[in-house]
Amino acid sequence: MRRLTKLSAVAAVAALALAGCGSSDSGGSDGGSKPAASKDVCKDAKGSGPKIGLAYDVGGRGDQSFNDSAYVGLKKAVTEFDGSCVEGEATDGEPESAREDRLRNMADAGANAIVGVGFAYSDSVNAVAPDYPDVNFAIVDGFDPDTKPNDNVAYLTFAANEGSYLVGVAAAEKSKSGTIGFVGGVHNDLIKGFEAGYVAGAKAAKPSIKVEVSYIQESDLKGFGDPAGGKAAATGEFDKGADVVYHASGASGSGVFDAAVEAGDGKWAIGVDSDQYLTATAAQKPHILTSALKRVDVATYDFIKTVNAGKPATSYTTYDLKNDGVGYSTAGGFIDDIKSDIDGYKAKIVSGDIKVPTKP
Amino acid sequence: MTQESVAVELRGIGKRFPGVIANHDVDLTIRVGTVHALIGENGAGKSTLMKILYGVQKPDDGTITINGHAVVLKTPTDAIENGVGMVFQHFMLADNLTVLENMVLGAEKLHGIGDAARTEIARISDRFGFGLEPDVLVEKLGVADRQRLEIAKVLYRGARIIILDEPTAVLVPQEVDALFANLRELKDAGNSILFISHKLDEVLDISDDITVMRRGTTVGTADPRTTTKLQLAELMVGSELPSPETEESTVTDTVQLTLDDVSLADEFGRNLLTSISLQIRRGEVLGIAGVEGNGQAELVETIMGMRIPDTGRILLGTEDVTNWHTRELREAGIGYIPEDRHRHGLLLDAPLWENRILGHQTQAPNAKGPWINRSGARKDTDRIMAEYDVRAPGIDTPARALSGGNQQKLIVGREMSGDPVLLIASHPTRGVDVGAQSAIWDHIKRARRAGLAVLLISADLDELIGLSDTIQVILRGRLVGSFEPATVTPQDLGSAMTGGAAA
Amino acid sequence: MRTFNLKAIGLSLVAPAIAIVVSLLVTTLVIAAVGSSPSDFWSTMFEVPKPRSRIDIINQTGMIYIAAVAAAIGFRMGLFNIGLEGQYTLASYAAAAFAGGAYLSGFANVAVTLLIAIAVGAAWSGIAGVLRTTRGVSEVISTIMLNSIAITLVGYLLNRYGVHEGNTVRTTKIDLVTGFSPYEDRDGQIWTLTIIAVLVGVGFWLLLNKTRFGFDLRASGQSDSVAKASGVNPTRMIITAMALSGGIAGLIWMPALFGKASSFGLGTSFQAGLGFLGIAVALLGRNRPLGMLFGAVLFAFLSVKSNDLTFATDVSPSIVQITQGVAVLAVVIAYEVVRRWRAQLEQRAVGQDLVTATEAPA
Repeated sequence: MRRLTKLSAVAAVAALALAGCGSSDSGGSDGGSKPAASKDVCKDAKGSGPKIGLAYDVGGRGDQSFNDSAYVGLKKAVTEFDGSCVEGEATDGEPESAREDRLRNMADAGANAIVGVGFAYSDSVNAVAPDYPDVNFAIVDGFDPDTKPNDNVAYLTFAANEGSYLVGVAAAEKSKSGTIGFVGGVHNDLIKGFEAGYVAGAKAAKPSIKVEVSYIQESDLKGFGDPAGGKAAATGEFDKGADVVYHASGASGSGVFDAAVEAGDGKWAIGVDSDQYLTATAAQKPHILTSALKRVDVATYDFIKTVNAGKPATSYTTYDLKNDGVGYSTAGGFIDDIKSDIDGYKAKIVSGDIKVPTKP
Repeated sequence: MTQESVAVELRGIGKRFPGVIANHDVDLTIRVGTVHALIGENGAGKSTLMKILYGVQKPDDGTITINGHAVVLKTPTDAIENGVGMVFQHFMLADNLTVLENMVLGAEKLHGIGDAARTEIARISDRFGFGLEPDVLVEKLGVADRQRLEIAKVLYRGARIIILDEPTAVLVPQEVDALFANLRELKDAGNSILFISHKLDEVLDISDDITVMRRGTTVGTADPRTTTKLQLAELMVGSELPSPETEESTVTDTVQLTLDDVSLADEFGRNLLTSISLQIRRGEVLGIAGVEGNGQAELVETIMGMRIPDTGRILLGTEDVTNWHTRELREAGIGYIPEDRHRHGLLLDAPLWENRILGHQTQAPNAKGPWINRSGARKDTDRIMAEYDVRAPGIDTPARALSGGNQQKLIVGREMSGDPVLLIASHPTRGVDVGAQSAIWDHIKRARRAGLAVLLISADLDELIGLSDTIQVILRGRLVGSFEPATVTPQDLGSAMTGGAAA
Repeated sequence: MRTFNLKAIGLSLVAPAIAIVVSLLVTTLVIAAVGSSPSDFWSTMFEVPKPRSRIDIINQTGMIYIAAVAAAIGFRMGLFNIGLEGQYTLASYAAAAFAGGAYLSGFANVAVTLLIAIAVGAAWSGIAGVLRTTRGVSEVISTIMLNSIAITLVGYLLNRYGVHEGNTVRTTKIDLVTGFSPYEDRDGQIWTLTIIAVLVGVGFWLLLNKTRFGFDLRASGQSDSVAKASGVNPTRMIITAMALSGGIAGLIWMPALFGKASSFGLGTSFQAGLGFLGIAVALLGRNRPLGMLFGAVLFAFLSVKSNDLTFATDVSPSIVQITQGVAVLAVVIAYEVVRRWRAQLEQRAVGQDLVTATEAPA
């Protein structure tokens, strides 16, 4: 009997572990309630324009961040060019072959523009693209992993450090305590770029500023889907005296916002990727100072536009302040008083007077 | 016999229970104010019948009449409501609660948990001479006190018909006498007692009526005033009673096992064994008598290498084996019949042939180098089953499906295989029917004649006296006395076992 | 005897059959409850896989099977090694880093890399074994904690010593071992090192049923007190079984490393989660070599086919994790029910045997 008890416990652990993989997929606060089928642009759009395949990263549609942003761009493009689309979603811990299979499925289904959301698609696109010379691929945050160039792949990269620089300026100027914070989802090179820009911007605005930096996970991608971890990290920084905390942690960010709410009046959080003021809860809104924008929607739309125009983009395209691929948001109006300052820095970056570091 | 004088009447009880033997056509009549003994071999169906009467199992056929009313007992609660209570062999008490708390636990509705309950307990205790102290923690109580508490619990819940499952198995002779005094008080007060036992002397001593079961049915009744032990045993087994009489001594001069000043402490530093010294020669059976829990289990585990003594030496022949591990000791030729078959002797869900391997994993015919010799083990299992009369459909039957006696015979056969030099036999016939018991005794005697040294630990004094060449008494981890089986009486031993008198 | 065995085989199929039916049923209900079409779902799932999916299923089956065997070695002796995930993550990293260092070439590099994977996995699980035997720490707790430590440690080592490229970091790439392409080249290859799964499976069966060690292992799993009395040294057994389990776990990802990935990158080439799948499959297959093979094929099939879901239906691929989870829970329950039922049948058989044996002469 005792053995059965132990066995059941393990079975439960195993089931939870499996289920756990499932729940971390959906991330965000409304993971369970993905947009209903009726709102799906890919269900209804039957246009004769470009047929687009959009392969999401783990989290898929509904993450209020990266993947949703790509969907916005897709929707705009499909409507504007009278196209059609297919979608595919990654699951946590999926093998490389699953990503390749997803891309091939799309190509086989007749998609002529396929966008992989997230650098995880770099290898799979590199493997699949040569087999489909007539299909154009793009990878958000992607790169070419080998030395052989692909002439039907576009790599859409973002100067996230530049956008972070501007919110760093905002944080430093708004801080009364002289200490600000940064919460990263996973300590990888991508997020280190956010940190580097943020710290540089803050120091530029106020050389004496102190920046508390923490990461939710060293390497486990769960750090992008862990609101509790985000809250713990942010609370730690508020406790150390920070009054503005910037997060680059995907769906974990809602925890950072909650931490700001609990820390009380005068404590701020800064959102990332999209304008998170717009999707935040009523309680969180008064604490969201601004957001560092990473216009995945713009990049996605632009890429489809080039395909539609018959001149598909290839190789690397960098989205930075100059082409408004990154930026900052002003919804809420909390930084209206320092907007001119921030725009001053922005102009200097665009002109090249300021070089924003990419590594901390 | 009038209707009013009958407490319980079972008629034609049948249970097609997926067990070793089901009940069929069981008839049993318990008169009011009597002790009724139910005897029979292990597996004769006594426990099934008890469970039926206590509402644990529902009979497929037959009727139960209690105090003249036909009843259907679906649960033990039904049974208690009909005045039937049961005291199990394994007590069901919470050690860390007091006597009072144990008493009222689950019966709070009867007399509350306060003074009313206390008064009722005092009343029961005084009436039957139980001597219960309501505020003592149960963990401080001895076995006999716990048993009295169990009986009192049953009375407290209003039982007038009390089932006692082998109540004397855990008691020393003096305690048995005290229990019997209690039982006589109970029956004088009009209670009826169903007394289940193996021990025929006791049955004859205490009971007013006797019912004998065999192969799932009642085969007869006996009047204790006119029946002898032998006649009862014959009814039970349908053959003549075996006797454990010792034959002429086969003790040699060669010492096979020596314990020299062996002590063992538990993790808190309390001594479990203190300065144990003993010797067993080839052809000698050394019996260890003692009330359970006085260090017998620890002594066996120390010799078997499952515990390492803190001080002292253990020699097998002339070799120092103090720090040897169990496997090395077994390879050196120690056979081990454990006290608890299920905890130490058998893999219940494994087939018999795998159980043949158990404990002898490294030895022929079970193993060839690092490999298991499946065919060798299977063939040898067939041999053991034939030689030791293990009754089972085949060697692929899981051990769990066998009756206790057959399980034990398999263990004895296994441990006697491969010519052991020393046999550690812990309660070798406990819970075994009379037929299997005599077979096991015969095997031990035969091996002894062939020069086997045996350490015999038993709670059955007849067995100890009948088989041993010497008997040592263990009390609180010390050997406190040595007796000659030829001259010793159960009373002498009982006295030494309880520390009443030094020998 | 023969009919008894046939019945036994029949009985052993009852539980998994019930479990699968239940899990399909629950999945159907969940899909219907969220307003999607179960029939779409099942027609997509049970469509004959495309050639490349067939290859993926075979490759995934191999890795899941190795993981299941690793888990089963512990389970068979009552040790619950929940730490496969950490063990194979660390072992895979160490192996990939070593292989990438190219200290050896060709076959020698592959062979030594595999040995390193085994050694690292065994060492990592061995920690849990030692903690259990010397400090009494439950292996369930310690291995779960060691999982977190391993994954963090690998992240640190990778950040520090890995090759940074784009936004990713990985170990140095190695030459792949060419596999076998049953279809067109673009459909992929069956990885050569999937043979490890076959060897591990056969080895597990031999170890369990034919060796003294396997006997001791099973005895310990059924009752540690019985095993101890029979001469099994519990300390040695726990550490050995734990290390063996971790050693096998170290091999989980090796087919992928040499067949496809060529380097270790977290969130990219490295496939996480196989350890947990292995535990689930071991439970599903009741730690039996063939049962687990069946479970591994089922899980691989569900995982690979789930990729078609977002494409052809509006059901999230995560739904198959519900199917898998329910299958595991259902199988544990169904097996216990069947086990009791079977015990009754066996006892009845013995009872009948005795009744006929004793009544015949009378």
